[in-house]
Amino acid sequence: MKKEREVLLSVAGLSVSFFTPRGTIRAVRDASFEVARGEVLGIVGESGCGKSTAAFAIMGYLPKTAEIEGSILFEGKSISDLDANELRSLRGNRIAMVYQDPTTSLNPSMKIGLQVAEVVLEHMDLSSSQTSDRVIELFESVGLADPDEIGNRYPHELSGGMQQRVMIAMALACDPDLLIMDEPTTGLDVTTEATILDLVASLKERVNAGILYVSHNLGVIARVADRVSVMYAGQTVEQSTVYELFDSPQHPYTAGLLSCVPKPPQEGGETTRLRRIPGFVFSSQESNDDLCLFSDRCPLANEKCMTQSPSVISSPHGSEVRCIRSHDVDSDIWGEVEQILGVPQSQSETVLMAEQLTHEYGKHQKKYVLFGPETSTPVRALNEVDFDVKKGRTLGIVGESGSGKSTLARAAVGLIEARSGTIKLHNESLANKVENRSQDERSAIQMVFQNPTASLNPKLRIRNTILRSLRRFAGLGRDESQLRAEELMLAVGLDPSYLDRLPSELSGGEQQRVAIAGAFSANPEVVVADEAVSSLDVSVQAQVLNLLEDRQKELGNSYLFISHDLGVVRYLSDEIMVIYAGYVAEYGPSSSVLSLPSHPYTEALLSAAPVPDPTVESNSLRLEGAVPTMRERFQGCFFASRCPRKLGSICDDSPPPSQDAGEGNGHVISCHIPVKELSAVQS
Amino acid sequence: MGLDRHPVERYISWIGNAVQGDLGVSPRSGASINEMIGRRLPNSALLAFIAFVVAVPTSLAAGIFAGIYPDSRLDRFLSIGSLLTISVPEFIIGVILMLVFSSKLGWLPSSTIMLPGETIMSKPEVLVLPILTITGALFAYILRMARANVMEVMESNYVRTAVLKGIPMRQVVMKHVLPNALIPTITVIANNVGWMFGGLIVVEFVFAYPGVGSLLIMAIDTRDMRLLQSTAMVIASVYAFSNLAADLAYGLLNPRIRYG
Ligand code: SF4
Ligand code: SF4
Repeated sequence: MKKEREVLLSVAGLSVSFFTPRGTIRAVRDASFEVARGEVLGIVGESGCGKSTAAFAIMGYLPKTAEIEGSILFEGKSISDLDANELRSLRGNRIAMVYQDPTTSLNPSMKIGLQVAEVVLEHMDLSSSQTSDRVIELFESVGLADPDEIGNRYPHELSGGMQQRVMIAMALACDPDLLIMDEPTTGLDVTTEATILDLVASLKERVNAGILYVSHNLGVIARVADRVSVMYAGQTVEQSTVYELFDSPQHPYTAGLLSCVPKPPQEGGETTRLRRIPGFVFSSQESNDDLCLFSDRCPLANEKCMTQSPSVISSPHGSEVRCIRSHDVDSDIWGEVEQILGVPQSQSETVLMAEQLTHEYGKHQKKYVLFGPETSTPVRALNEVDFDVKKGRTLGIVGESGSGKSTLARAAVGLIEARSGTIKLHNESLANKVENRSQDERSAIQMVFQNPTASLNPKLRIRNTILRSLRRFAGLGRDESQLRAEELMLAVGLDPSYLDRLPSELSGGEQQRVAIAGAFSANPEVVVADEAVSSLDVSVQAQVLNLLEDRQKELGNSYLFISHDLGVVRYLSDEIMVIYAGYVAEYGPSSSVLSLPSHPYTEALLSAAPVPDPTVESNSLRLEGAVPTMRERFQGCFFASRCPRKLGSICDDSPPPSQDAGEGNGHVISCHIPVKELSAVQS
Repeated sequence: MGLDRHPVERYISWIGNAVQGDLGVSPRSGASINEMIGRRLPNSALLAFIAFVVAVPTSLAAGIFAGIYPDSRLDRFLSIGSLLTISVPEFIIGVILMLVFSSKLGWLPSSTIMLPGETIMSKPEVLVLPILTITGALFAYILRMARANVMEVMESNYVRTAVLKGIPMRQVVMKHVLPNALIPTITVIANNVGWMFGGLIVVEFVFAYPGVGSLLIMAIDTRDMRLLQSTAMVIASVYAFSNLAADLAYGLLNPRIRYG
């Protein structure tokens, strides 16, 4: 027998507007959802859809300029009717919140134990020794090592994952009835994310609370949520159980989001082309009375959608959708599934190659500070890394933060001068420093950075940025380069009128596409993309990935594609290199690297990566901690400190051999475990 | 005086003596520079100390209030007032105060010239106007610093965390806002002690106050190089020491740069 569902929180018709000098911002327009005890409601949507605003509205924490309509009922009582004291006794006590970015959410000058104790002291009637016991118990329950001592540390002494655990401990301090988690794993490494998600999943069993989990990441939602509410432009557009939602989405937007996420390639190596949602989220500055807010992007939109705002339709089994054509929604509305055939291997020639690339930050030196000498040892960032990028193909590089992947990208482009090793373009050695490379060599290798804002000159119109690079690298004349600039804009899917805008007038995704157009303007042979799509929303990410793929097919560009997101790397890459602490853990053709036999680190990354499919049982293999700082040379295996399959002293004492996986395609794994054993799945 | 020696040589021997605590004799008056400075240094220190004691707590309190309640009426008043005070140089403020309180109202003496046998302690009323002048500028400056820092911290994510813990606003301010807002404020104040000395020199001069600052001006007037050199050096070392003290204080207050 199922227990009666006890609704804790019910939000109905919520709208939040901010009055600013530049007009009214409608952050939330019409959001409705419920959270019941013992269940996790996931709220998903792209940035700018009002998810976080809705979460803060529940906490009663919005700026004074906000105007709130609709109702937020917590256990039947309206939050907006509470006076300051009642609100205070709810916050941290009955309703608690965990935020994105734990580093800035903890007070930097207060010991974490005190920060947690503060909540306990405020809301629970405990003596000071009981309080410290409670704090220790909380630290233990969120899986922090050394719970007795850790409270004496300051936030900056903890890693991001540990900080988030502290935040969760703080939120659990008074056994809240409702726990709100606002993008709690965004910005953390996949491996850390996986451990935090496990923790959330265990909370569901352990604490008898309702959890509201806000995320833009469908994979994360699929892993933690029981029910999902999809938000678009401040409205709830669909609501149902997680299985239904991922299996048969009712709203075109949900279907679109799902088809934007890169899926693993099939057996034959062909991938399906990503489908994309054109355009952008309906502007929060506009009012919305008489149309479907999604109509300008919706493939099913008809007359009626443009003239009338659709109302929410509930189905008998409890799901809801805001669309008049929900019955016509199927997996093909975002375009037929196109197969992309894998390019046959090994025929193509090598364009960019690195041999024994090594880099360290800092030098060996003795520094005299106030109280005596201090020695500093360089941090090893890359250790004798070899790779080659073939013509018209993509080499993907994955690893956690601190693994050395960004250093690798920068060293390849010459932005940092590798300490030793050679980089060759078409078998000719390049100078390690970009300043010493010729114009041609420079234009042959271009880079796209994670943050497009940083790579575009804010004072220069887009036209000037692109023309500059066209003249300098491609050596084009005035008229020719104007023409080419327009072609490039079209190629990246932007209207040429964007050329006359300033970077600040573009959205993040548009800026990233301009940055890509800039990189392509030099007619490069190799484009190095360092986390180039990481900060983008899935729909925009799909546009950028498709763009990269199209250019590659047309012009035969090669890519060195760096990302922490295995899904994206898997989608784009022909070869994959898994890197850890500056060492190559595994290298080879995509499909071989991603299937067994696998290096233990690859295996861990794979099992940590969230999959946007709630029916997939997540593998329980987890990595704790973070990549070590590489001050010491490793005696044995670089991965020994975290390896879940560590053999024993051999791993500590001698460096692992680079074994050929015996597939005849150059797949190599650096591990002491024989390839045959690595082929067996570990649980 | 050893004018037959090379200037560099003379300079080195002066430095050598100065380091050992002997600044030599003023070629103008024939008096010992040690004594001249020694007599005036306490006066300057007294003036600076009282100004500090008056200005720092009041301006911090006002700045904190203004930062917590930006755009309140008191905040607007303080902001405009401090902007005015900051944009008017000390010597003008000093002269205005002098005009109002001594020439017009006759309440306070306009200068601090001492008759033989008098000391500051025996005539404390002479301190009021110089202190007011220095305090004015200092107050405005610290207030603006504190206000800006408090406002920044009030916007931070960790203050949001603190508020949403459900603890009383007082506690949020005392435990989360102030420690973090005051660290940079105090450092900036301490690092600007030197800037305050500049003001002190001017104020001492305007009120003819018997301190190191007016001694410096006197040395310039009389082209007394050795005296000038010595006073400048004393002022510079006080400045350097206060900066060092500021950095050490910062290290104590901020756990992130405390070395373990
Ligand atoms: S109501 Fe019309 S425009 Fe809106 S989502 Fe449905 S089909 Fe598309
Ligand atoms: S060599 Fe040992 S420690 Fe290194 S990956 Fe293999 S099993 Fe793990």
